[in-house]
Amino acid sequence: MALGTADDDTHRSPMSARRGGPLSRRGFLGGVGAAGAGIGVAAAVAATHAEAHGTGSSDVAARIDFHGEHQAGIGTASQDRLAFAAFDLTTKDAAAVRQLLHDWTAAAAAMTAGALVPGSSHDPVAPPADTGEAVGLPPSGLTVTVGFGPTLFDDRFGLASRRPAALNELPPLPGDELAEQRSGGDIAIQACSNDPQVAFHVIRNLARIASGTAVMRWSQLGFGRTSSTSDAQSTPRNLFGFKDGTRNIHGEERSAMDEHVWVSGGDQPWMEGGTYLVARRIRMLIESWDRDFLADQQEIFGRFKTSGAPLTGHDEFEDPDYAATSPDGRPVIADTSHIRLASPENNGGLRILRRGFSYTDGMDPTGLLDAGLFFICFTRDPQTFVTLQRRLGAHDALNEYIKHTGSGLWACPSGLLDSGGTWADHLFA
Amino acid sequence: MPSHRLAMTVGLLAAAPLVLTACGDSGQKAGPADATDVTIQITDDGCAPDPASAAAGPITFTVKNVDSGRVTEAEVMKDGKIIGEKENLTPGLSGTFTLRLDAGDYTVMCPNAKTDRSPFTVTGRAAAGAADAGLTDAVRAYQDYLSEQSASLTAATTTFATAVRTGDLEKARSLYARTRTYYERIEPVAETFGDLDPMIDARVNDVADTAEWTGFHRIEKALWQDGDLAGMGTYADKLLTDVTDLERRIGTLQLAPEQIANGAVGLMDEVAKSKITGEEDRYSHTDLWDFAANVAGAREIVDVLSPTLRERDTALLTRIDSQLADVMASLASYQTKDGYQDYSAVTDASRRTMTQQVNALAESLSRVAPIVAGA
Repeated sequence: MALGTADDDTHRSPMSARRGGPLSRRGFLGGVGAAGAGIGVAAAVAATHAEAHGTGSSDVAARIDFHGEHQAGIGTASQDRLAFAAFDLTTKDAAAVRQLLHDWTAAAAAMTAGALVPGSSHDPVAPPADTGEAVGLPPSGLTVTVGFGPTLFDDRFGLASRRPAALNELPPLPGDELAEQRSGGDIAIQACSNDPQVAFHVIRNLARIASGTAVMRWSQLGFGRTSSTSDAQSTPRNLFGFKDGTRNIHGEERSAMDEHVWVSGGDQPWMEGGTYLVARRIRMLIESWDRDFLADQQEIFGRFKTSGAPLTGHDEFEDPDYAATSPDGRPVIADTSHIRLASPENNGGLRILRRGFSYTDGMDPTGLLDAGLFFICFTRDPQTFVTLQRRLGAHDALNEYIKHTGSGLWACPSGLLDSGGTWADHLFA
Repeated sequence: MPSHRLAMTVGLLAAAPLVLTACGDSGQKAGPADATDVTIQITDDGCAPDPASAAAGPITFTVKNVDSGRVTEAEVMKDGKIIGEKENLTPGLSGTFTLRLDAGDYTVMCPNAKTDRSPFTVTGRAAAGAADAGLTDAVRAYQDYLSEQSASLTAATTTFATAVRTGDLEKARSLYARTRTYYERIEPVAETFGDLDPMIDARVNDVADTAEWTGFHRIEKALWQDGDLAGMGTYADKLLTDVTDLERRIGTLQLAPEQIANGAVGLMDEVAKSKITGEEDRYSHTDLWDFAANVAGAREIVDVLSPTLRERDTALLTRIDSQLADVMASLASYQTKDGYQDYSAVTDASRRTMTQQVNALAESLSRVAPIVAGA
């Protein structure tokens, strides 16, 4: 076979167990994705959720449908690992942007299905189109979610008229210590998977495909989910050792998703069924936190550390009683506690879908652990996040132990219904 | 440090001598302009090539599937071995591949068809060299460039070595960066001679035993850090011996077009890996001179290959030209009357921008080898 290399991605090799379709990284992919194809979008979305939930989020065999009414990776049960990147366009040519989004869509769809990045990966004299580190790995519940930042709609590409009115740079917020090199970006890619290598493979390959058109502005790996976004998941602990987000919106809650997450009736048709992604890199001052006494840690959160129950209860899922007072007359759940300030009850019913990940980037220059929460939330209106963060940033007792060091807002368009569409359609069609 | 990029392609060449080019399923022609066209229409019945015979030389096969759901591929075979193929052609799709074929009997095969084998005959002899005159010229032009640069390197090193030997610190400092320029322009080629590059160009952290450290950077340390050339005469002599040896060996070198193309990638990798980080010339801070020389070497390669690239992939050539211009514009902003600014003048933000420009160019350059390979 050494002689017969004059073909494209369809070359026979140990890697191509199947023929007549995209090369799968493993041979066992068969009917899983096809199940919903002829049944309609709603059914396909439901099947996606059922797969992810039924098998549990740590299941590496899970294959999430790339296509659907909404983008995957939002209402999907949170996977365990994150690879996130923000890109800046370096081209001045709108056609190049369009081509990039087209190529990215094809690559994202293939990788989500557990297949190689399209193109030749077997020509001995050419660099392989797929970088290869995910060969042999199953789909691992991978989702690839795209978002468009406010800067994409400036005067470079003639997209000003496509900018949703709600998509503005986040205003300065109390407690901000944002680093320019960890904030913003024309386009964001969120890759979530139950295998960190599968997630990283996405960012690496999309960055490579972008070569000459866009550059990575910053990126962040998350090593463990901090949110439960499904009835089937338990609440994980953050790096403070607490269960936070017990009362998060779950993907199964259709009406809550419609009410708080999915855009409808907005000013841009391409955002119908889309949402806004807010990312905040929240550095935790781990060493200081670890020296704080238990009762104070619990008062800061408003929850018991071990059980996760509110300080007014015994069970994690019990509703907090914000009116309860202790014998000395003070509220049991302190006015400055995290759960009180963040709760829908105390914020006019505002809710967001939190989908963050713990991160560490080793040490800072002074030798302290550089670790914390890479906060991600999805909301139908970025103003909701601003309102919540204004409160938290000004009053939260937790502020003594955290710094917001990076930030970004992106508009995540609706999902692509079938393989005919690309992410470019949202902006250029 | 030595690169294996060029050395490896030599082995690959031997493995795939017949394959000229390949392209995707777009049906866009990617083969040499003077190739003979042969159409293979695959149907449920078979895949007879049209015409059934062709003259020796480059032949571009276009495989078309109009409406067969059963037969989705065609292969050109010689003595039972597949030498070119197009697979996964569902109805409506077509694809091409180009092979350089010598006279002989070949078979076109399409599994699942009623008649799954059809003969294909190649007659006569390939017109010697005519098919790839562009690439032959490119190789010759590049070998001439190598000879010029290595001769200049020997001449410049002779002067530099004299200054070092005679302890003329100021003169040796003024000659250092300029002398290296000739080496840096052809560095990936020098690196194919595994023993020479470490002796000429190793940094202190590249050697296992600092007592064995020789070459430009050893002398650079004496010139800038120690400010003392005592004992450097031996090193100057050895450097001159090594570059003279390099010049001699380059005279015997035979390069293939894809090796030359990969050399351009190697030059840009050098920039991204050690020049932009400021590791290369850590005592003299003359990294921008090396950077510029690496870019000049890559530009030479693009120049010699551009007639072929223009013919086979104009879009790629346009992209490379524009990315090369971006890199050169960045460099130009640091140019002085007689060279380049001290590398410490380059801010972190500029280093990042230049890295991005260099990486974009290198990524595009990495697409050149398969286009010029095998001819």
